[in-house]
Amino acid sequence: MSAKPTMDRSRLAAFADGELSPEEAAAVVMHLADHPEDQVYVDNLMAANEALLQAFSDPMEEPVPQAIKNVILGEPKTADIIPFRKRPAVWISTAVAATLALVVFTGPDLFAPASAPNLTLGPVDTGSNLAVALNSLPSGVPEVAGTDQEFMILATLPISDGYCREFEVINRAAQRINLGIACITSDSWVVEVTMSEPLSASGTDDGFVTASGAEMQGLMPFLDRLGAGASLAPAAEADLIENGWTP
Amino acid sequence: MTDRFRKDLVALVPKLRRFALSLAGNQPDADDLVQSACVKALKNADQFREGTHMDSWMYRIIQTLWIDDRRRAKTRGAPVDPELAGLSDEGRSARLPEDRMMLDMARSAMGALPEKQRIVLSLVAVEGLSYKEAADVLEVPVGTVMSRLSRARDALLPQLGMAKGPMQ
Repeated sequence: MSAKPTMDRSRLAAFADGELSPEEAAAVVMHLADHPEDQVYVDNLMAANEALLQAFSDPMEEPVPQAIKNVILGEPKTADIIPFRKRPAVWISTAVAATLALVVFTGPDLFAPASAPNLTLGPVDTGSNLAVALNSLPSGVPEVAGTDQEFMILATLPISDGYCREFEVINRAAQRINLGIACITSDSWVVEVTMSEPLSASGTDDGFVTASGAEMQGLMPFLDRLGAGASLAPAAEADLIENGWTP
Repeated sequence: MTDRFRKDLVALVPKLRRFALSLAGNQPDADDLVQSACVKALKNADQFREGTHMDSWMYRIIQTLWIDDRRRAKTRGAPVDPELAGLSDEGRSARLPEDRMMLDMARSAMGALPEKQRIVLSLVAVEGLSYKEAADVLEVPVGTVMSRLSRARDALLPQLGMAKGPMQ
């Protein structure tokens, strides 16, 4: 038989929900020992809490759905599809491709005043047109320099310790189209690989090519070695442009 | 927006899906809700204050979106479908038939609660927030949280075959 009066239900609920201080909780425990009716209510509250917790607990054991992950990380499935001109065929041989770091392009001027140095492998001068373009241009947006040069970033790829950007330079005066990859792992860009062919042999002026398409095969060994992932979606790339490229 | 923000948000998704499931009553709607909430959070990332609880911020976004959706739909919401209620094994993982029955009853009872009571009960009983934390999420006084909880339990306990407590 329960002793009267019973304790206020909001206090019993606060006890069941762990809201009380140790001293307050101890007082409730003492009360419950003499009031089985209240003890039943507290037991019911705790059982209901546990039932609710279990009833909706499955998501805690499941992987994050890819669709939600894509929304957050900006990696939609279409991220690999980027609009750009059909890439030129790679002129370096397979043997040379294995030692890409040794390849040096000595072709026409790169997206720069005529006085600028030719595109070469190695660090990009801070403040140069190429550095500015790599830091600030989104993929797929052509940048025209003068009447005969055009520069465009083709894609941004995450690598294990930074980012790489593929770019192309069309030099109509020299009738060359050049493809390069520059990477940033600390605070400055480094041109890691370049390729070139005559513009007249490069095929169409525009088109859609997947980043993993045949035109990329010559770059794959290099990108694989860097652990490059799928090209970033525009939103993720825009964040990097806005916030800097620090890995 | 930092990469850290995005990573923290991804890490939070399981809890957000659980909270959304307790509101929506089925996983597809819950995932739509979480996805919409994430989009909103990313758009308003500059409003998130570093060092504050991201989970509370996201709970607030989710419950706001859920209520907005419900108002737009002008319905009481689809009844909880046990086969869609988030248990891919339809509750078979619960060891005993009584356990499965209890889970089904808990989901149905939750789905029958008014919106505000469902939200506060989920925050406290499912997400484990304190009354103060729940009050902060909902931007209401702690007393309001307690009264909504009390009404929610008055309705819930009988649905679970339990007495709703001693008469006051």
